[in-house]
Amino acid sequence: MNTETDLSKNIDMPEPVERALLQRIDKDRIELPVLPQVAGRVMALSSDPSADAARLSALIHQDQALAAHILRIANSPAYMPRTPIMSLQHAVAMLGVSQLSEIAVTISLKSGTVHVPGHDAEIQQLWRHALASGAYAKEIARLRRYNVESAYLCGLLHAVGKPVVLKTVTAIAAELRITLRPDAIRAFIDSYHSRIGILIATEWALPSQVAEAIAYYWVYEQAPSHRHEAMMTCLADRLATYVLVPESFNDSTLRDHSVFADLNLYPDDVDTLLGLKDKVLCLVDTMTL
Amino acid sequence: MSPATHYDIVVIGSGPAGQKAAIQGAKAGKRVAVIEREPGIGGGCVYRGTIPSKTLRESALQLERTKQSSTTLDVCVPPNIPVAALMRRVDDVVKAHGLYMENQLRRNGISFFHGRAKFCSATLIEMLSIDGVKQLITADTIVIATGSRPRAPVGIPIDHENILDSDSILSMIYLPRSLTVLGGGVVASEYASIFAALGVHVTLVDRADRPLQFLDEELVRMFVQSFEQGGGRYCAGQAVKDVRWDGISQVVTTLLDGQMIRSDKMLVAVGRQPNLEDLNLSATGLTLTEKGTLAVNEHCQTAIPHIYGVGDLLGPPGLASSAMEQGRRAVCHALGLPEGRSSDIPIGIYTIPEMASIGLDEAAGRARYREVMVGRARFDEIARGQISGICNGLLKLVADPTGEYLLGVQIVGEGATELIHVGQIALQHAGTIDSFVENIFNFPTLAEGYRIAALDILGQRQKRLASTAA
Repeated sequence: MNTETDLSKNIDMPEPVERALLQRIDKDRIELPVLPQVAGRVMALSSDPSADAARLSALIHQDQALAAHILRIANSPAYMPRTPIMSLQHAVAMLGVSQLSEIAVTISLKSGTVHVPGHDAEIQQLWRHALASGAYAKEIARLRRYNVESAYLCGLLHAVGKPVVLKTVTAIAAELRITLRPDAIRAFIDSYHSRIGILIATEWALPSQVAEAIAYYWVYEQAPSHRHEAMMTCLADRLATYVLVPESFNDSTLRDHSVFADLNLYPDDVDTLLGLKDKVLCLVDTMTL
Repeated sequence: MSPATHYDIVVIGSGPAGQKAAIQGAKAGKRVAVIEREPGIGGGCVYRGTIPSKTLRESALQLERTKQSSTTLDVCVPPNIPVAALMRRVDDVVKAHGLYMENQLRRNGISFFHGRAKFCSATLIEMLSIDGVKQLITADTIVIATGSRPRAPVGIPIDHENILDSDSILSMIYLPRSLTVLGGGVVASEYASIFAALGVHVTLVDRADRPLQFLDEELVRMFVQSFEQGGGRYCAGQAVKDVRWDGISQVVTTLLDGQMIRSDKMLVAVGRQPNLEDLNLSATGLTLTEKGTLAVNEHCQTAIPHIYGVGDLLGPPGLASSAMEQGRRAVCHALGLPEGRSSDIPIGIYTIPEMASIGLDEAAGRARYREVMVGRARFDEIARGQISGICNGLLKLVADPTGEYLLGVQIVGEGATELIHVGQIALQHAGTIDSFVENIFNFPTLAEGYRIAALDILGQRQKRLASTAA
């Protein structure tokens, strides 16, 4: 079961906007933006000779778009890694901080920033959800002894398509002079983020576990090779929604999902994860500042 | 809650010890149930221990052999193999083994419960299923076989991401360039040599002057030499002052002498601790030893006669082979069946190269007899060793002071864990040194080493006779 709201089933998405969106998807005109404050911080850090390398590493770990770009470029022929770079930690270890900052600055300069007039709050919310999902995915992986780095990346990037859908549909609506209601925007995001996320994953050759997490996190039993990552992402997404949007679930609704049993999490394990709420929120708040 | 279901035997845990206990009970016609907290059968041995680590070792060996013969075969081996490729085979083997065990339990009519067990009394067990449903079970005989987990030493921040234990090390998705391994036991030595064979710069850090203190010193010396020749480093007699993740890409280990070691990852392998905390043993009246293990007699029976403890939760040796035997013997004893003659259990260490031991080693022999005769066969002097490229090895026979009777066998080198069984059978039947010379071995085989080592002892005997006669 998807943790997204099922609004898309009932909400009327304006047909011209949907048609235009589909055309853009088909033409592969998808570009990931970097959040302005991150771009600025990366450039500031990189031009400061006394910059703390740990902070650059932390920045890379915090931002969806930057993370995805880093992985794409780190795996490109220009850098020719001997083996596929599978995680951000792996990228930091293999490339070194100076190369990473070079990549990060390039990305920051090249990418347009996400600025959707009137939708800053939604962008912020999406980013917070991505961070919370990443943080929770890590904790689930620690608990079950699955790969923590991989889990984090899947959690962070599983909804990488959402800001792109938001930016694209609002731009289309503006062009077509159609006013989109918030619930229609929500429905577009819910309906199309996974599809766009898969396109991004394919186009950028993101690690296969990330691609599968994006495609299958809400139907993890169908994941062909990385079922554990898809399961952890499903639960991380669910827990992130639970802590960021408390009204979305009550405790028993939250627990009413097969993913807990499929990950072999007993009721007290779930308690342990829920007990990390403040830690996750604190982390998200820190990174959002 | 529904009333309790009764079984003749309930086994808690489905690792090697639990599984063999359950099968022994079922073969004797008893109604048996197994309670396992994980969805799959096999315990840590199958999912986080023996099977995956030995499969990874096999992959590392194959890679090493391919690299060795790359010039002969004119093939190019990429310098860095993705771990995913190595681990895929691990997953396949684990799945196959788990399925085989599942079928074995099913075939024997054993009931399997997926849940956590805890004692309500000495005869009543409450089982909590994954979805929170509780069920009561009673049994005439209860076998505790809950295994062990990696010990987490105080002050070392194991995060399962950069600082790993022997469970989380198997979740790695890429090979680190460097790895620091803390510990000098079996797990530490095995993983250190496996990762070194995979091309990782490994530093093994331990307090002792050599790892694997319980093994023959000569064997261990050869292992360390081989490990260091392969690019590994052994930091002997070193205590760890501090371990921290630098927040970027390195684990920084500070030793007591001030030396700093930086590595991409760290493996902490400083022993294991029994999984007994969740069982609520106080409800049975049983208490744990100082080491947190369960005290049992030679039949694996606890202070409460119908409760048995088997496997890793008893502490060393922590071998799957001895755990299986304990499981079998415990149930035989509970049912009044003959347990069979107790025999020495061989020790097999799956380092690269392998090591194995049975009976007395040289030091133990000297401690008991003051003097022993030791025969040696080096693998590089055995035809099969040269043919197969297994030149780094040694087979030692330890004989009594007269050089007539076999006291023990120690082997280092590929195939050691298989070869040791020849010595095991010889020891069990009070084999003489001469019997190794009189028996014809296939040629060329590594087993021929027994004959060569026996001839070495024969030579020493003749010299002694000659000097006595003179």
